[in-house]
Amino acid sequence: MTDDNRTKRSRRVVLTMMGSAAVGAVSMGFVPREGCPPGSEPALDPRGGLYCRAFYGGFGGYGYGAHGHGHGHGFGG
Amino acid sequence: MQRIACPERDDWRATADGAGFDFHTIDGERYWDERAYYAFTLDEIERAIEEPTGEIEAMCLELVGRAIDDENCLRRLKIPEAFWPLISESWHRDEASLYGRLDFSFGGRGHAKLLEYNADTPTSIFEAAVFQWTWLEQSIERNLIPKRSDQFNSIHERLIEAWKKVGNGRHLHLAGATENAEDAGTLAYLEDTARQAGLATTLIDIGDIGLRDDGSFVDLDSRGIELAFKLYPWEWMFQDAFGAQLKNAPTRWIEPPWKALLSNKGMLALLWEMFPHHPNLLPAYFEDDPNAAALGASFVRKPIYSREGANVALVSAGVTVVEQSGPYGAEGFIRQALAPLPEFSGQYPVIGSWLVDHTPCGLSIREDENPITGNTSRFLPHAIV
Repeated sequence: MTDDNRTKRSRRVVLTMMGSAAVGAVSMGFVPREGCPPGSEPALDPRGGLYCRAFYGGFGGYGYGAHGHGHGHGFGG
Repeated sequence: MQRIACPERDDWRATADGAGFDFHTIDGERYWDERAYYAFTLDEIERAIEEPTGEIEAMCLELVGRAIDDENCLRRLKIPEAFWPLISESWHRDEASLYGRLDFSFGGRGHAKLLEYNADTPTSIFEAAVFQWTWLEQSIERNLIPKRSDQFNSIHERLIEAWKKVGNGRHLHLAGATENAEDAGTLAYLEDTARQAGLATTLIDIGDIGLRDDGSFVDLDSRGIELAFKLYPWEWMFQDAFGAQLKNAPTRWIEPPWKALLSNKGMLALLWEMFPHHPNLLPAYFEDDPNAAALGASFVRKPIYSREGANVALVSAGVTVVEQSGPYGAEGFIRQALAPLPEFSGQYPVIGSWLVDHTPCGLSIREDENPITGNTSRFLPHAIV
C-alpha cells in the first residue's frame, strides 16, 4: 500500500456544489434561437418562445424509470 | 472482520440532508444505517480486499483484450452483433474507464470470492466516498468509535484526478434517470468531482438526449455532446431507439462501450475459463455448458443481464431456496458455485471494492437479512481499527 493510502486520515473531502445552492448547468432546452441548425426544427416553448428541437426521446425507453444499476450486488453466491 | 454495534450520530439525518444525500431513507426504510459498522484490520483490507481487487481488475482487462474481437465470446455473452464494432473500436481507441465496483463474499477468513463486477453503472459511490468518511470523522470526534480508526477510502480524491485525465478539457454531460433520487444524487456527486477537476459540465436526463440528422447527439440546447457520463446501462442503450446511431456519433461515453463485456454476468464464466481455480474466483459456467454439471445440484443461477439481484436464484440440493423476482433472463443464465455470505448478527454483508481509474481505492458494505443482496439492502460504514 502506498503512503498516500496509509495516511487516509489526512483526506479533505470537499463538496463544491452538491448540497449547496450552487448548481451546474442543466440542459433544460427552451433557449431562444434565431435559426435552427440542420437536423433540428423550430418549436415553441411553454412561454411562446422559439427554440430548436432535435429529435429526442431515443434513449431512456428501455427500462426507463426502473431503478436498477449496479447498486445491488447480485447474490450471495 | 467484525460487526460492531455503535450509537448513531443524533444529527446524521440533518448532516445527510445538508450534503445533498437525500436518499438515506428509501420508501420509509433506512438505506444508510450507522447503528453498527464493520471493523477490519489493515491486513484484512490490504491482503484480502485491496490486492485481489487489483489482481482481478488486471485479469478482467486481459479478458476483454482476448474477448473483444472473438466472435465466439461475444455470442456467448449475447452481445448484439450490430454493436461489436462500437465495442471493439472503443477498446482499441483505449477509451478510458472512470470507475467500477467488485462485489465480494468475505467474512474475515480465507479468500474473498468475487460475486460479480458492477462495471458499467455502479451506484452508492457518494455514500462510499463521502458520507461514510464524514461518519468516520464525526464518530471519532464524538468518541463513538476508537480514536485511531481509519478507513479504506480515497475514492473522492481519485475521482477528481481521474476526471482530469478523462476530461482532457472537454465539456462533460452527465446523463441518467434524473427523476430517481438515488440516480440524481449519484450524478450530482460525480458532477461535483468533475467540476473540481476543472471540467465544465451539464446535467441532462437520459431521455432528453437528442439526435440531429448529422448523426450527432445533442442536449436540449442543441449543444453537441462530446463526452458523456451515463448512469444508464449499455444493454439498455443498445435496445433504445437511438442505439443504432451510437456507432455513427462522435460522442465518447463513460463508461466506454467495452465495459459492456465486464458488466455482463457471462464474464464470470469466461474469467473462470481463463483463470481456473484462482483463489478469488468462484467456479462459474454458462448454463448451456456441459461443464456446469460440475457444480452439482447446488449453485446460484444468475441472468446474463441482471441488476439489483433481480432474477437471481439460490439453488441448494436441486431446490430453489431463494429467488428474486424481476424482468431478466431472456438472454440466458450462468451458474456460479455457492459461496454463502457470512452472517453477522443475522445480517449478510457484501463487500463492495471500488476501483477508480483501475486502482483499488475504497470499500463499501451493503447488508441484508436476505442472502441475496438487493435494492433494499442497507449501507453500513466501515472502519480500519
